[in-house]
Amino acid sequence: MTQIEIGRLLRAGTTGFVAGCRVSQFTVPAFGELVRAPLGDSYQVYGLIHDIHIDDDGLVRQLVTSENISDEVMKDNRERRIVPVEMAVLAIGYEQDGRIYHLLPPRPPLSLDVIYLCDDEDVARFTSVGRFGYFRHILGAKDLPIGEVMAAHLGQAARAHGKSGDQWKDKATHELITLLRDNYPTLMNVLGALSDVSV
Amino acid sequence: MPVNFQQIYARVKEIAEGANESKRILEERRNQARELLSFYAADLDYLRQKVEAAKAVDANIRCATPLKESLASFYPPPVSVTDATVIAADGSQVNPDRHAAIQFCIINVGVIAMRLSSGEAPLVTVETELLYGDDLLPNGNPLSDGMVAMRRDIHERIKLDEVSKDINGPVVNLTDGTIELWGAKGDDPQAYANFVEQYLGVLSRLHSRGVVTAGYVEKPSADLVVRLLEIATADEEQIRKLRDFHPLRGVSDRWLYGERDNPLLPPGHRSAVFGLQSGSEKKYKGALSLHFFYLNVGTVGHPWPVRIEIPRWVAEDPKKLDLLHCVLIEQCKMMGSRPYPYLLHRAHETALVRYEEKGQIEQLLVLELRRIRAEVGDGSHKSSAKSLKIRTTR
Repeated sequence: MTQIEIGRLLRAGTTGFVAGCRVSQFTVPAFGELVRAPLGDSYQVYGLIHDIHIDDDGLVRQLVTSENISDEVMKDNRERRIVPVEMAVLAIGYEQDGRIYHLLPPRPPLSLDVIYLCDDEDVARFTSVGRFGYFRHILGAKDLPIGEVMAAHLGQAARAHGKSGDQWKDKATHELITLLRDNYPTLMNVLGALSDVSV
Repeated sequence: MPVNFQQIYARVKEIAEGANESKRILEERRNQARELLSFYAADLDYLRQKVEAAKAVDANIRCATPLKESLASFYPPPVSVTDATVIAADGSQVNPDRHAAIQFCIINVGVIAMRLSSGEAPLVTVETELLYGDDLLPNGNPLSDGMVAMRRDIHERIKLDEVSKDINGPVVNLTDGTIELWGAKGDDPQAYANFVEQYLGVLSRLHSRGVVTAGYVEKPSADLVVRLLEIATADEEQIRKLRDFHPLRGVSDRWLYGERDNPLLPPGHRSAVFGLQSGSEKKYKGALSLHFFYLNVGTVGHPWPVRIEIPRWVAEDPKKLDLLHCVLIEQCKMMGSRPYPYLLHRAHETALVRYEEKGQIEQLLVLELRRIRAEVGDGSHKSSAKSLKIRTTR
């Protein structure tokens, strides 16, 4: 299994956590991707990246007004200054002793725990368990751009499932329609976003 | 109780009423200063004689001494530099607090080195010194705030020397403020003398390696060129009472070189290089003697003259002077609308000890001392009372 480290934990709660990384590290993770935070003892928390945030500060604000920024200044700001890229992650499940649960994790990851990007094998494994139980965490997160997160996730997961990707996506879409049958605006929002996903 | 705004308001009115008259007087003096500058611009021998005469009466007099260039001369920025390493250092400190539970002092120095046009990220180093116990009583005297500041300054310079030692090619060292060590000599004369001796050693090493060394003085308040003009007009009697002779009081060098509508220095230009006549002349001798020039780092319509202090080995080498001039202009441009050398800002940012960091260090120290059952005092009741939350009135 290839382990792609994307950052370390800044702060966490039961429903989600925020990971930070230097801008120079910031090449791999993308919006909607599945990540995991291994905590030892065969326990790890899974989550979806739902926001990537880069804060400014006084110096950056001032630098943008200059005519040209040299490569050295650019690298200094990206690699040396302590302004991390923050990735907000929605907790959607956990793994204990090799078994995956689509429930909120019993305990969140701790400060500075390493966060890894899930590879195709991880994604396929996590999304194949049960009947899309983790969807309720996404659909229940009212402050999230649910349609966009769902579309990005379904795109990634369908690719991870390889040949059976289309079949998996169809099942996932049916499940979404069932779950959102009483919430027409959200359903339209999600289906609209999904229509833009190409496998 | 809040501020007594009635008293403040009355005083503000008084100030505003007097402002018109002050403005007229200042305008007259400014015109006079401009005229004097034009009149004496090329009369360098005469000016040097007057400075010598003033020095004979008061060796501590502070003013500019003209070298070879006309007072009103200015020079454009040289072509861009590609091969040089710029190093900036800055420091911050936490002074010992006798009201705290435990007395300690922190000196933090940040150094940043950038190889121009290398495409590489700069090298950043931080060195933190924690002073405790007997460290706070050097030579038996309690470490004053002034001595802490001086210790910080000397640390900055030593770090610059260390970092620049292993660098090939031209090197420019920058510090914020004067290159002359400033401090309260009276607090601990022995320590002051040691610091100056150490500093002169650092400067000598930088000189031997040909490192361009400069101090960047933002919003300079010393009016060294204006003082030179005053001395130029002084007769013998006035020279004898020079400390009371200020016919151009209120006119600043910043105004002279950076008048908003008609600056003597166009954007990016530097002034003539001057010698710095001061009481420190006895310490900073030969190649280490102090010089300066003004540099307009601003833009058209927004002049911003700053004073750049340099030692003689830089002042007398046109290549070094051009390199410094160019580096400073490029560094200031990096900061956009508020020009200031980028690396000096970064050095400051690196060196800054934040309030919460101070608290963390204090906590670490207290925990470790308690662990070995050493005696740890309590904070004063006064400081405890001051930190109480205040009820604010609307």
